[in-house]
Amino acid sequence: MTLVKEVRPGRTEPEAVAVPARGRRAWAAAAALRWTALRLLALVVLLAAWQAVVAADVWPRVLVPSPADVWHAFVQASTVHDGVRGYSGHLLGEHLAVSLRRIGVGTGYAALVGVPLGLLIGVLKPLAVVLEPAVTFLRTLPPLAYLSLLVIWFGIDESPKIWLLVIAALPPIAAATAAAVRGVPGDLVEAARALGAGPVSLLLTVRLPAALPEILTGVRIAVGVAYTSVVAAETVNGVPGIGGMIRDAQRYNQTDVVIAGIIAIGISGIVLDALFKGAERLAVPWRGRA
Amino acid sequence: MPARTRRTLLLASATALVALTATACGDGADAASGGGKTQVRIAYQSIPNADLVVKNQKLLEKALPDADVKWVKFDSGADVNTAVIAGSVDLGLAGSSPVTKGLSAPLNIPYKVLWIHDLIGENEALVAQKGITSVKALKGKKIATPFGSTSHYSLLAALDEAGLKESDVTLVDLQPQDALAAWQRGDIDAAYVWTPTLSELAAKGGKVLVTSRQIAEQGKPTADLGVVTDAFAAKHPKIVDAWLEAENQAVELAKSDPAKAAESIGAELNLSPEDARKQLDQLVLLTAEQQQGADYLGKPGAPGALAKNLRDAAVFLKAQKAVDAVPDRSVFEKSLAVKELSRVVK
Repeated sequence: MTLVKEVRPGRTEPEAVAVPARGRRAWAAAAALRWTALRLLALVVLLAAWQAVVAADVWPRVLVPSPADVWHAFVQASTVHDGVRGYSGHLLGEHLAVSLRRIGVGTGYAALVGVPLGLLIGVLKPLAVVLEPAVTFLRTLPPLAYLSLLVIWFGIDESPKIWLLVIAALPPIAAATAAAVRGVPGDLVEAARALGAGPVSLLLTVRLPAALPEILTGVRIAVGVAYTSVVAAETVNGVPGIGGMIRDAQRYNQTDVVIAGIIAIGISGIVLDALFKGAERLAVPWRGRA
Repeated sequence: MPARTRRTLLLASATALVALTATACGDGADAASGGGKTQVRIAYQSIPNADLVVKNQKLLEKALPDADVKWVKFDSGADVNTAVIAGSVDLGLAGSSPVTKGLSAPLNIPYKVLWIHDLIGENEALVAQKGITSVKALKGKKIATPFGSTSHYSLLAALDEAGLKESDVTLVDLQPQDALAAWQRGDIDAAYVWTPTLSELAAKGGKVLVTSRQIAEQGKPTADLGVVTDAFAAKHPKIVDAWLEAENQAVELAKSDPAKAAESIGAELNLSPEDARKQLDQLVLLTAEQQQGADYLGKPGAPGALAKNLRDAAVFLKAQKAVDAVPDRSVFEKSLAVKELSRVVK
């Protein structure tokens, strides 16, 4: 995605100077179409390679199902068929919605705690000395390592899953916030101080807005981290939930359902990330300008 | 010049890496390697039966000095199935539910049941929190069990026997250790699990409502089975015979000198010999001769009742949507390795 974006301006600019506005727009549309076509082509090649591997019988069909099998599993999991609702009693969309809700709640709590924590770490040196190693410690822990502990402490229902996602999503937010606050230009701070701003109003009216773009990036990264952790969170009593569904399918060697679930996670992740980028553009339009 | 040497070095290491990867890939697919020795890859599980005696006392290694015996540990029969499909295991231990699943569509794994490692007795049971005294009283309660396991099968059989439907209770898919954590917090009302978690639940005030031995008496037995891939059995009949003899020898030892067998099992499971002995006693072990009985594997021309038990399990799995269709009884009868068994019983 980033690659495409970086390439585009370099190629459009020289011609864009010469052609009138209308022609430029048409050119941009054509370029967008071309890039979309390239993506579709890549997808077709991937599917063809997959089908070829299946047709060549390199691995048993049970281990590597064909694209059609996965599509069938996808349809079965998304519909009510002979009295069974989707997979494990819930539709694929419902599994995904429950997982997304957990990700949302977990990242939400993480942001509520992580942003103030990051602000304090960025501003108060003594606090940074104490807390920064702790944040790094948390960040390097794999979620599966502390899941069993969370189950012992918080049981098997919603709370251990939310806790796991909070612990996973908190460090990126806190780290990004702290770095952003430190990166606020000294001129801005000096100017505000000269105009008589106290430490609190300096933090809230100068440092926080200046750091906001970076904080939002931190939250976006945290959502990604929560996304990768949700399957771990749902290994214990995870149904409904997309991770629980994948685990159930794995238990019964239903590889097609596993792959359908993974694809559902990946696609919803792309959509969510794009939405987040759009929201970022709307919320902090000053981003990238001096 | 130095730049060129560096490039040569880089190229050499890259070539070496590719070669290494290629050999690593080839290794997994080829069963017969390791300097001309035949490789025997055995999947085992932490179940206190005679299989661990065979492993601990190296009975098979002693009987087959020319073979390269490899023991691989698995946590569930589903994982053993996956390993067999992937071609990384020749002989393996799996519960009767996963084996049924393996023999049915869509898996249709080409393997057969060679041995009954144990009949599940008191080592799997339904335990309930204080105040619940019968299976019937579980209506509306939350029960944990590892889905797809023999315990899951026995639990549904117990509910059915008590006149309860699956929808009358809330079933939670939990591994035994997670069930223990949930139990301590009071998150679940009952659990159908195996030892050692089972003993811990009972020690924490749990009441055993029904055991797998009782479920077996009601006509729904569960067992831990030994399977061998069709290809391996056809290619290496001598190794299969040696394996059967080793297993039989271990069972006979467990019967004649349980203390000694328990010592080996304890060493494998990190248990004291006393604890291992207690767990061993909860299982029913059968000698090769007993396994030829009509209730079990049977004899050539007269396949035993195990085929019917497996088919019953398939009916259960069909209701769980875990298999596509229930195979005929004849499919299961053909999957009992009675010919191999009769070769070693004199």
